[in-house]
Amino acid sequence: MGNLMHGRIAAVIPSSVASLVAPLVASLVACALGVPTSAQTPARASGNQAAQADAPPDVPLSALAPSNLAKRRPKPPFDLTGNWFIDTTGNPEAWRFGAPYPTFTPAAQVHIDASRKAAAEGKVYRDDIGQCWPAGLPLIMTRYWPIAMIQLPTAIYMVSGFMNSTRIVYLDGRAHTDPDVVVRTFNGESIGRWEGETLVIDTQYFRGDHHWMDQGGLGIPAGEALHIVERVRLVNGGRQLEIAYAMSDPEHWIGDWNSTKRFNRVDDVDIQEVECLPDLNEHLQSTTSKTQVK
Amino acid sequence: MRRGLAEWRGIGLRRSLIFVALACAFTVPVVAHHSPAAFDRTKKVTLVGTVKEFRWQNPHTWIEVLVPNDKGEDVLWGIELTSPTYLVRAGWKSNTIRPGDKVTVVGNPVRSGEPSAIFVSLTLADGRTLTERPARLGGATTGGKE
Repeated sequence: MGNLMHGRIAAVIPSSVASLVAPLVASLVACALGVPTSAQTPARASGNQAAQADAPPDVPLSALAPSNLAKRRPKPPFDLTGNWFIDTTGNPEAWRFGAPYPTFTPAAQVHIDASRKAAAEGKVYRDDIGQCWPAGLPLIMTRYWPIAMIQLPTAIYMVSGFMNSTRIVYLDGRAHTDPDVVVRTFNGESIGRWEGETLVIDTQYFRGDHHWMDQGGLGIPAGEALHIVERVRLVNGGRQLEIAYAMSDPEHWIGDWNSTKRFNRVDDVDIQEVECLPDLNEHLQSTTSKTQVK
Repeated sequence: MRRGLAEWRGIGLRRSLIFVALACAFTVPVVAHHSPAAFDRTKKVTLVGTVKEFRWQNPHTWIEVLVPNDKGEDVLWGIELTSPTYLVRAGWKSNTIRPGDKVTVVGNPVRSGEPSAIFVSLTLADGRTLTERPARLGGATTGGKE
C-alpha cells in the first residue's frame, strides 16, 4: 500500500517532496479505512469487557447494560410498572400546576399579563403545545393521556401517550451530566434515588424556550434554570401514585412552587402511537385561527 | 370558501338561518393537544351538511363537513374531536361516518367566527346520536382539558 501510494505521488510532484508526503498520506488512508464510523457502525467488541474498555472513563454504563442491571442493589420499596393517568376526580382542572402560585418575577409577569389580556379578548396566548412543541416537564405528566411506566433496577422508562414523549429516570447511582456537555431537553435529565418508602427524582437541564408551566390559561414560562424535585409514593394499596412537586426557577419565580398530584393506575388502556404530524393542524382550524396569539 | 364565512345552518329552519344556541350545559370533555380556550363553551352551533372527510387518528379525530349557506355555496367546517382511545369507549368506529354521509353535528364554535368548532354530538341519517362520553379512564373524569 505504501509503495503504491508513493509511486502515484511521485508521478506528479518532485521526488524529494513525495518522499515526505507519501508516508503521511498512506497513514491517513490506512486510518480512514481501518476506523469505523461510530455513529453508523456497531462496535465490534467481543464482549462486555472489550466494549467497556473502548468507552471513555466518565461515561456511565447504560441503564440497559446487562452488567449494570445485574449489580446487587437493595430491593426497591415499590414498582411503578403500569399505566397511570392523572386523577381529576372532583376537579377537572387538576392537571394544572396552579395555586398556590409563587411570587413571579418581572420576566414571568410580562407573559402572564399578556396571556390575561389575550384571554380577555377571547384569544389563546402562545399555545406552543398546540403548535406541536413538546409539553415538557412538568405538564407532560398531567396531560389527559395515560403514561406507561416500566421500572427496572437501573431506571424507570416513562412514555406518555401524549406524543409518545419519553422520560427516563435513572436509578443506577449516576450523577447529573456535566453541564458543559449535557443536551437540554423539554423533559430534562432525571436522576432518582430511594429515601425509605419514597422515590426522590431530581430533574434539571431543561430547554428554556417554547416551554411553559401552563397551557391556555396563564402564560407562565419555564426557563433553563427550572429545577424540579419530585417525591413519589404509591398510595391506596398501590392503586394510586402520588407525586409531590417542588419546582424552582429563579428567572421566573421566587422560592419553591409546590404542587401535589395523584395518578390512577389504569389497567384497561395501553398507550398508542401519537404524533404531531405536519397535516394535523391543517385540519384543526382552531390552531391556526385568529384566536391564536403566537 | 374554506374559512372566513360563518354562515351556520340550523335544524328545521331555512337553510340560511344562523342557529346559535346559548348553552348552559355541562362542559364537554376533550382530549386535545391544544388549548381549548379558543372555543366558546357558552355557544353551540348546529351544522347540517355532508361529510367531506372523517379522519380517525391520534391525537385528534376530525370531521370536515360541507354546510351550504344561504347562497347555496358550501362552507367547509372543521370539527375537532378527541382521540379514538376515548371515542371507542363512546361507541365510535373508524367507519361510523364516511364521505358523502348526511349528518348533523353540534359543536362549540371558535370565538373568532371562523368555521371551526369543537365536537359536542353527531346525529346520523338513521337518527342515532353519538357523543364523546363516556370519556373516562381509571376512574378519572375527563372534563374540559387534555
